[in-house]
Amino acid sequence: MLKRFILIRGIEGLMVLLLAAIPLMINNGFMLGLLTLLAIYGILLIGLDITVGYLGLINLAQAAFLGLGAYAAGLTVTHFGFGMLSALAVSALLGLVMGGLLAFPSLRLEGPQFALATLSFSALSATILNEWESLTQGAQGLQLVRPPLFGLVLDAKGFYWLCLCMLGLVWISMKNLLFSQWGRAFEALRDSPIATDAMGIGTYRHKVTAFALGSGLGGLAGGLYAFNFEYLQPSVFVYELMVILLLGVVMGGRKSLWGAFVGAILIVLLPNLLSNRLLFQIFSAIGFLSALGAGGLALYQKRTKPFQGVAPMIAMGLLVVGSLTVQNTEDWRKAIFALMLFSVVVGLPEGLMGFAATFLSKIFKIEPLPLATPSDLEQVLVKRDVDGGPLLQLQDLKCYFGGIKAVDGVSLTISSGTIHGLIGPNGSGKSTLVNVVSGLYSPTGGSILFQGKPLVRGSLFDVARQGISRTFQNLQLFSELSALDNVMVAMKGWYRSSLPLVLMGLAKKDEKRAEADALALLEMVGLADQARIPAKDLPYGAQRFLEIARAVARRPTFLILDEPAAGLAHPDVMALLGIIRRIHGRGITIILIEHHMDVVAGLCDMVTVLDGGKVIAEGLPDVIKRNPLVIEAYLGKGSGTASPEAVSLATPSPVPA
Amino acid sequence: MNQALMQMTVSGALMGLVYALVAYGFQLTYATSKSINFGQGELVMVSAFFSLTLTDLGLPYYLMIPGGLLFGVVAGLFVERAGVRLALEQKSEGWILMTIILGLFGFSAAENIWGRDDRPFPTPISSDPIQLFGISITPLEISVAVGVFMIMAVIELFKRKTLLGKAFEAVSADRDAAELMGISATRTIMLSYGLSGLVAALAGILISPITTVGPTMASALVLKAFSVAVVAGLESGFGVVIVGLFLGSLESLTSYYVGSGWREAPGLVLLILALAVRPTGIFGKGVIRKV
Amino acid sequence: MRRGVLTVLLVGLLATQAYAADSIKIAITGPFSGGSAPMGASMRDGAKLAIAEINAAGGVKVGAKMMKFDVLERDDEAKNERGALIAQELASMADLAGVIGTVNTGVCLSGDKHLQEKGITKIITPAAGSASMTQWSKAKVKDLSIFRFAAHDGIQAAMVVEEAINRNYTKVAMLYDSTNYGVSGRDDMVDQIKKQGNKLQVVVSEKFNIGDKDMTAQLLRAKNSGAQAVLIWGIGPELAAVANGMAKIGLKTPLIGGWTLSMSNFIDNSGKNGDGTLMPQTFIEEPITPKAKSFIAAYHKAYKVKRIASPVSAAQGYDAVYIFAAAVKQAQSTDTKKIKLALEDLKEPVQGVIATWKKPFSAWNPDDETTHEAFRREQVVMGMVKDGHVVFGNDADRQRLIKNATSVKGKK
Repeated sequence: MLKRFILIRGIEGLMVLLLAAIPLMINNGFMLGLLTLLAIYGILLIGLDITVGYLGLINLAQAAFLGLGAYAAGLTVTHFGFGMLSALAVSALLGLVMGGLLAFPSLRLEGPQFALATLSFSALSATILNEWESLTQGAQGLQLVRPPLFGLVLDAKGFYWLCLCMLGLVWISMKNLLFSQWGRAFEALRDSPIATDAMGIGTYRHKVTAFALGSGLGGLAGGLYAFNFEYLQPSVFVYELMVILLLGVVMGGRKSLWGAFVGAILIVLLPNLLSNRLLFQIFSAIGFLSALGAGGLALYQKRTKPFQGVAPMIAMGLLVVGSLTVQNTEDWRKAIFALMLFSVVVGLPEGLMGFAATFLSKIFKIEPLPLATPSDLEQVLVKRDVDGGPLLQLQDLKCYFGGIKAVDGVSLTISSGTIHGLIGPNGSGKSTLVNVVSGLYSPTGGSILFQGKPLVRGSLFDVARQGISRTFQNLQLFSELSALDNVMVAMKGWYRSSLPLVLMGLAKKDEKRAEADALALLEMVGLADQARIPAKDLPYGAQRFLEIARAVARRPTFLILDEPAAGLAHPDVMALLGIIRRIHGRGITIILIEHHMDVVAGLCDMVTVLDGGKVIAEGLPDVIKRNPLVIEAYLGKGSGTASPEAVSLATPSPVPA
Repeated sequence: MNQALMQMTVSGALMGLVYALVAYGFQLTYATSKSINFGQGELVMVSAFFSLTLTDLGLPYYLMIPGGLLFGVVAGLFVERAGVRLALEQKSEGWILMTIILGLFGFSAAENIWGRDDRPFPTPISSDPIQLFGISITPLEISVAVGVFMIMAVIELFKRKTLLGKAFEAVSADRDAAELMGISATRTIMLSYGLSGLVAALAGILISPITTVGPTMASALVLKAFSVAVVAGLESGFGVVIVGLFLGSLESLTSYYVGSGWREAPGLVLLILALAVRPTGIFGKGVIRKV
Repeated sequence: MRRGVLTVLLVGLLATQAYAADSIKIAITGPFSGGSAPMGASMRDGAKLAIAEINAAGGVKVGAKMMKFDVLERDDEAKNERGALIAQELASMADLAGVIGTVNTGVCLSGDKHLQEKGITKIITPAAGSASMTQWSKAKVKDLSIFRFAAHDGIQAAMVVEEAINRNYTKVAMLYDSTNYGVSGRDDMVDQIKKQGNKLQVVVSEKFNIGDKDMTAQLLRAKNSGAQAVLIWGIGPELAAVANGMAKIGLKTPLIGGWTLSMSNFIDNSGKNGDGTLMPQTFIEEPITPKAKSFIAAYHKAYKVKRIASPVSAAQGYDAVYIFAAAVKQAQSTDTKKIKLALEDLKEPVQGVIATWKKPFSAWNPDDETTHEAFRREQVVMGMVKDGHVVFGNDADRQRLIKNATSVKGKK
């Protein structure tokens, strides 16, 4: 604990002190210029990392936000005589607002479409800055003078310290944010946007917030950029700069403040590195040897694919050959950058810092923080009173996809406090039915009443907010997050500290409480001792249980379990029965979609059977088992005499689809 | 004035056809692998430079073309192997970055091998304008239009009529099902990148005589092609031609009537709007989210 | 003991100074990569040619010693940010004698202030728009260490407008690229039209972007408004696109514009469509004088080319070095501040390839930036593109230069 504190906080503090002290020790304008730029790019890249690292989206607009922020600062100073801080505030605010505006339409997109939307935004903003000559002076460029800070005229050194302070502030508040409910939600929605919506977190609003924050930092960096260079031209903030920024983040390491910082160092220092031939030769040789060593070892131990091991060797080898043969290395700058990046992206997908972090934590054996003591489950899940009245009523519900009638006029009532089974052969419309109820699909017709009121339609998020929670037939865990974090993400709606408080680091208490509560839930499903393990590394059965714990963390009135036993081994099925009973015991109404007849028979108070999108039978489990219609639906015509057990035989443990 | 309108529409539309051709290259790879080459512009440029070198070596124009196209295919295959395959295997979007990186390398290599200057690209086709209904148009421009339609027709025929082409269609329609039928998705993706490289090389050869050859020749072009591909829908086939023609003329008319500095603006606004309203493109199909 | 350490340190310090004092450390900066590279690289190569010549002859005599030039190259990539960083780096070098270079105005605007702050002498060449000097007159700087060795846009614009008026045109179209260079060129031309009595009516004023290939829209507007000439400000490749576009839509008016119309990437890419294009030039790659002949031959030989990518840049880089060397010789020092003073008052004429420079600069006067500008109207001639080369646009200019060269020789 202490070691961890000293190592992590200590290194950060040491770094700041060192950076702050350099200008006192060495009086060199060039060095100061580089350091100032380093601080500015540090802020910019931390902002970019929010979208690229945490949201996992390729964002090509950060250079544009840098430009907008720079012009905002420049124009407010030259036109309205703003002071330093107010101009910077305007820059950051403009980035924030423009980021939000861009985010609204484009964040529904994924992958290449999102990248393209941001690329167009960059091009558009460059065009506007260039064409709006009356305001920005267009291509002529805008000259400005660095305004005083509270009446104090800053020289180069003073301004550098200001930039460093800003970087420190950004660093601390981002750290607070990223290790809070917010940061966790950002990462969650990268892994599964559907599940974040279903957990009532609101994929869209989080994406917009994250993107706007990142853009706001871009704007702030822009303001500092303007005051550093005191001369702006629209042609600076274009695609080329953007590519370099993006590569800086990736090379430094995504999802890491240190990574962004290292990326900034690389961007700032690389051109100078190349101008010294010997230095460059040494550097490329080290690169080649490490690619050779690391790649060779990984290949030998068969930890990696041949391509991942060999490609960086070839790339770094090319670099060595180039450093020895090429006359003017500066001419090849872009190619050199490309080769280095290629090696890093292929060989060290986590970036330089990601690699260093794993390495360092191994050397120093940094232990994670100890877990909180689990809360009492009684308090986490306060027992609900149930009156046995109708909780969910479906009337003539229809859902068609083109000509396919997946759900065709289903009417169904689920009483509060029950476990209601929903069975039927493959393709009978069970999953579609719960997808409609939970808001993933919009119904084609019919009505849904929840607690006597019409339920919102077609929005996972809104339905989740009504107190309906669900699991998924195909697991939708946040695979990169730990088991604990998976559960804590779902608690977001419960523990609400406002964003400014979180940024200032005043939400730690909330955080601890959430952790204790989440542990109680993990304990309930028997995963308390695996809380720190990333979801993707858990065994299959544990992943199923984790998804249930996560759904329960919403403290729902009504829980949809979509084939929770699919693919489970027998002991796990037994454990599942226990878990479901325990949840039911807290007064939560459950709808259970299942193939396993024994699970249904053992748990359910009532069973509905679907076939071809229609209800073919409804009743107590034992009665349903003997219903000839049901047996026929499962086994086909002419099997009316089959024994009751035939139903469960007909559906041997289905493989998880 | 009306004649100016006609002239601007036609000359913009011709440019739009080139956008469409490059956009078509995006579609080919997107169909099979849901990935596109962000360095496609550099691929166009490097292929054009290579073809120029062939011409400089004394190869006649019509023999140079297959040479240039072959180079495009090889380059396309290289992009797939070095930049895309690993990311696809990991089911990540790493290919966006990887193709940007490969493009950067190609750009720098071209700058140093062939020089930073723009160079003329010799062609036997005349660039003396002829008058058609009062509109000036050069045979060279007509050859671009002919080339664009020809290559697209050939590839579409290939996809529909040959066994290999049908495998291509199968993987585009449903990758998993195709693999279960014994079609190798990896090979089909390679094929699509090869074809995409071929299309890029042809685009380079077609426009070079008009725009000259230089390292930056395709950077503006490829941005437009992105817009066209996305607005039309990355899976829409001939939709790119319609959108390409529309965008080309729109740009041309904007720069004539609004001001040449605003030339790029309508395309960009159109792109953001199209993405906001119909993320799958005007001619694209909607997708059903499955869980 | 302590004394010993101090002595060693002192000796070490002196030793490095003695080492540094052996050479004249000069930095050459400019875009050696990217779109303006032909200008930057030609300037660098011209300057290095001059330095090689001086060094081969033993160097510059300072005191009793012959000192050689030591060159430091920095590529600013035509980027402001790089320019600023490079200037900061150069400004922090204690033993730097001076800086030569810069093509892009933006780079001057973001970088030169660092040099000026430390009083480091810089000769801006080959280009840069007016703003690179007017920024100092506007700021009323008292003492300036920045000089310019280029035909400033004012002279060029004056000549372009004059040419159009001399040809009795009344309606002209103005085209310019959307960069700082293009836009300030437009402003200069508009200014000159006013100054020269508003005899020209600008019927169309249109922009184009770097990388644009299709200029039909702009040119069609020019054609439809009946322009008799196209006055243009831009850089090679786009200029070629304009020339080709004019041929396509049948706009058969002359193209007159800034000196960049002599760049090889314009001449090559416009082919026959570029013939007849007129532009002010400080140097024409024609061996009309012995000095020009030897310069051209040496350049071709040293860099294995048959034609200089940007002859103007190369010649200016070459002459700038000779002027700088003359200042070092006169100052008898490598101290950049003393060199600056010598530059402001060069006693002996310097024989360059463009002209024989007599007192190119004088003491800085904030109200008149031409005090730090070397070029006057008479050093600039009108060039014309003909069959892939730039030749003299007016034979009178040619004869005048030949006569000047021989008269200087005669004096000797």
